[in-house]
Amino acid sequence: MKRLILAAAVVFVGAPFAVAQDAPTGAEPSRVVGAPRGKALDGDALAARTEDVAGLLRCPVCQGLSVADSPATMAVNMKGQVKELLAQGYDQEQILAYFENSYGEFVRLEPPLRGVNWLVWLGPVLALAAGGVIVAWTLRARRRAGSVEPEAPLPGPDTLPDDPKLARHVRRVRELAYGWPDGRPPGTSA
Amino acid sequence: MSQPVVGERKPRALNQRVLLLGFLVVAPLVAVLLLNLGRDPHVIDSPLVGRAAPEFTLQPLDGGEPVTLASLRGRPLVLNFWATWCVPCFQEHPLLVSAARALGDRARFIGVIYEDSEEQVQGFLARQGSAYPSLLDPGSRTAIAFGIFGVPETYFIDAEGRIAAKHVGPLDAASLEAKLRQAGLSP
Amino acid sequence: MTAALGRNLVLLALLASTVGAVVGSATAARGSAVGWAWTRRLAYLFAAAMVAANGLMVWALLARDFSVSYVAQVGSLSVPNWVAVVSLWSSLEGSILFWGLVIGGYVGVATWANRDRHPEYMPWAVAVWLACGAFFAFLLAGPAQPFQTVSPVPADGPGPNPLLQNHLLMAIHPPFLYLGFVGMTIPFGLASAALLTGRLGHDFLRPLRTWLMLPWTFLTVAIVLGGWWAYEVLGWGGYWAWDPVENASFLPWLTATAALHSALLSERKGVLKGWTVTLVLATFLLTILGTFMTRSGVFNSVHSFTQSAIGPTIFVFLVLALAWSIALLALRIDRLAAEGTVEPALGRDSLFLVNNLLFVLFTFTVLLGTVFPLLVEALRGVQMSVGRPYFDRMAVPLGIALLLLMGVGPALPWGRATPQQVRQALVPPLMGAALVTAVAAALGVRRPWTLLALAFGGYTLQVTLRELWLPLARRRARGESLGRALVESGFLRGRRRFGSYVVHAGAAVVIVAIAVSSTMGTSREAQLKVGEKTQVGAYTLTFLAVDEVSEPHREAVVARVGVSRGGRELGVLSPRMNQYERQREPIGTPAVRSSLFEDLYLSVMNIDSASGSLGLLAMVNPMVGWIWAATALMALGSLVSLVPSRADTRP
Repeated sequence: MKRLILAAAVVFVGAPFAVAQDAPTGAEPSRVVGAPRGKALDGDALAARTEDVAGLLRCPVCQGLSVADSPATMAVNMKGQVKELLAQGYDQEQILAYFENSYGEFVRLEPPLRGVNWLVWLGPVLALAAGGVIVAWTLRARRRAGSVEPEAPLPGPDTLPDDPKLARHVRRVRELAYGWPDGRPPGTSA
Repeated sequence: MSQPVVGERKPRALNQRVLLLGFLVVAPLVAVLLLNLGRDPHVIDSPLVGRAAPEFTLQPLDGGEPVTLASLRGRPLVLNFWATWCVPCFQEHPLLVSAARALGDRARFIGVIYEDSEEQVQGFLARQGSAYPSLLDPGSRTAIAFGIFGVPETYFIDAEGRIAAKHVGPLDAASLEAKLRQAGLSP
Repeated sequence: MTAALGRNLVLLALLASTVGAVVGSATAARGSAVGWAWTRRLAYLFAAAMVAANGLMVWALLARDFSVSYVAQVGSLSVPNWVAVVSLWSSLEGSILFWGLVIGGYVGVATWANRDRHPEYMPWAVAVWLACGAFFAFLLAGPAQPFQTVSPVPADGPGPNPLLQNHLLMAIHPPFLYLGFVGMTIPFGLASAALLTGRLGHDFLRPLRTWLMLPWTFLTVAIVLGGWWAYEVLGWGGYWAWDPVENASFLPWLTATAALHSALLSERKGVLKGWTVTLVLATFLLTILGTFMTRSGVFNSVHSFTQSAIGPTIFVFLVLALAWSIALLALRIDRLAAEGTVEPALGRDSLFLVNNLLFVLFTFTVLLGTVFPLLVEALRGVQMSVGRPYFDRMAVPLGIALLLLMGVGPALPWGRATPQQVRQALVPPLMGAALVTAVAAALGVRRPWTLLALAFGGYTLQVTLRELWLPLARRRARGESLGRALVESGFLRGRRRFGSYVVHAGAAVVIVAIAVSSTMGTSREAQLKVGEKTQVGAYTLTFLAVDEVSEPHREAVVARVGVSRGGRELGVLSPRMNQYERQREPIGTPAVRSSLFEDLYLSVMNIDSASGSLGLLAMVNPMVGWIWAATALMALGSLVSLVPSRADTRP
């Protein structure tokens, strides 16, 4: 959840940097997403962040895998470029925006928070709320219904139905289920 | 038939709430599926069409000065990403060569080599003939900038450097001509 | 000749199922014994025709009879016999034929098992089953014919997709999947029958539950087998990518699990009958949606078959089935009268509702995410992706909540629980939670979600083990020996309960193992020359040699990697890169060394025998083997609880 808010903040802050329809394009990332905004990485931190960011990009060739997981040559090259950009100090949103500029929104595995995409992020939350309301209402309705006084008194352990055959069966059941001799509660006479 | 003990609700002939709810849940799903029937989800539209082509500076295969996109302005440009290991590239190669020769100065043809070795490419061109330069793209950075999914893919760029059209897969004569016209080729 | 015979068998199946559906409906409406006898006969005929058609196709595949169109499509002289049999389900038409086999088998068995029971329901049920069967027979007779005649007869065929020949798991994953998927037709028929008669009593809830749980068992195993196959074969080290076709198999599993719990509440308390029936109908509808997703070519998936005319046909069937279900529910749901109440306070009853809420929410989320790119395409004309990061983010809290619920629910008593009972039930398992958390922290687990999963797992396991122990303890208290107590309470008397808690135990372990394996692994990429070493986790890997191996259907370059740990030699692993004749990109096969607590997973990124260089991806994946083992435990528990008791066999 914290990551969600952070992502939203980054996107909204980064919105001016996001690629508009007539933004200048160019193989140089700085032309597309501006100057690096983050800290230049190296070593283990660089390797770890490369996996993270590459995991958010879709491999254009093996479209079922992320750039981090895909063995395709294009994915390996893209991962290499992600590593370069991180080493130069570009942050995650800039890198994702750079690839989105070339490949379209398709290449982002997590839907960015814009326009109708909000539906896929909020949908489950709204469904949870709606479901919670329905469950609460169901239980309250049951309680309301359960508190209605029934017309006939509810049977208890010492009452039997009027029908003698049925009564015999009920006694037999009580005998088997509770171990009551002759199906009568202990301490009662025949 | 068991009698309802508590919470008795008179059974109506048609539970309208269920009907409405069912419809509301199901109708959007059915509509979405119906609207997408027949579409191939693996073909992705390029976002670059209609925008300025990404700048590049690449080394030609046979050596010499690096070639920049800016230097190629002034005429419609056919930018073809290809490789020797790709069968459809092999199929479209003769068409591109003959078109380059036929059009001469009216249009410019440039090949960009995707994930291949220099020797393989040189051997291929020696055998199959060439009529325009091919550029080397180490690490496929330019291919990535152009949003290449695979090869062959061809971009048609107009004289001002805007991408007029993209063709995915091997070119045929009709598509080549039509997309060159879109890039501003004068008849 | 063979093709013509096959076509005739398919037509026979189509005829039997169509007529049977009509006769069954008429019998149900009028109540005729003769009609019921004929309905049964037609059901058996349908089953027999489908079995015979499949037997014929398998024979044709083994005999390499290329005059049959499907054999010409997927058969090959150069593949081994087991691959020839497996090709039955490797391509579209054959997979529909296989669907026919499974539905025929289920309908035949389910009809026979209920031939003397539930006379007011069964004709309806069989009619609905045969209507579904008729659709698939229609597909086989029309858009997806496997038995067309090929002339002139080709000399050889291309063989099935090479990826499907890589591993033995390919032989068992699809049959399990079909046994699960297609099996959901049976409870669909039973639920429809309940709605059509306007009754769902205790007597019919039992078979509904049984016939839901049987395919559920197969589906559970199938989903995990698919993950295992991806893990062992594909080489990226993961087992689930939230691919649309994977989700297609998961969605009905979620609603079926919800339905099983709701059915239990319906059986015990006589409530939520309409809701249970709705969930059962939804499960079947999701299987049809699932097969549409796989075969229509509309969804971007690595698993999908190529586009064909079959997509629109399945779409029409889906719409009809949806209309049927909604209409039936709207007309009849009010007749399924409740016989009791759900206790409105905290107790096991109300937690069943929470269970259903979570499972339905999970279903909604996965369905929304899977369909969303299509929605955006329709609305904005833009192609976008909803991929693994999204689904993982949504699934984690849901999975962990369900894990906790599996502990809290069974801990509480039925009905209303007093605050004292709540305390007595919910506090002791905290010990288990604390113990597991402490051990995990000591072993170096720091990530919050993982620790939470382990804590809840400990909690739930303590509750589950206690519930399993209770009947044993009571019998021991009466003087029975441990062995006899175990057999009596587990297998002879309390099978349902025992089996269900075993399933819970298995499920808890699966969830914890997924949490641990996806967050606690280590990986390393290394470019090595022959003789060089690298380190991953506690293992030292030495690149020993490159071999080139030639097999009938592929060429492979194999890396021999020596493995040692703590100075002790553990053997040689051989990950490889396979080049198939028809694929451009080579496909790697990883090498996996499984030990009790972790897997060492090696995958080739690039390899060159000339220069003796290897790009190696090495991973240590903890607790992955536990996922497979715990799933087997779930299946065993489920099968134990399915063995019918005397109550089930009475008419």
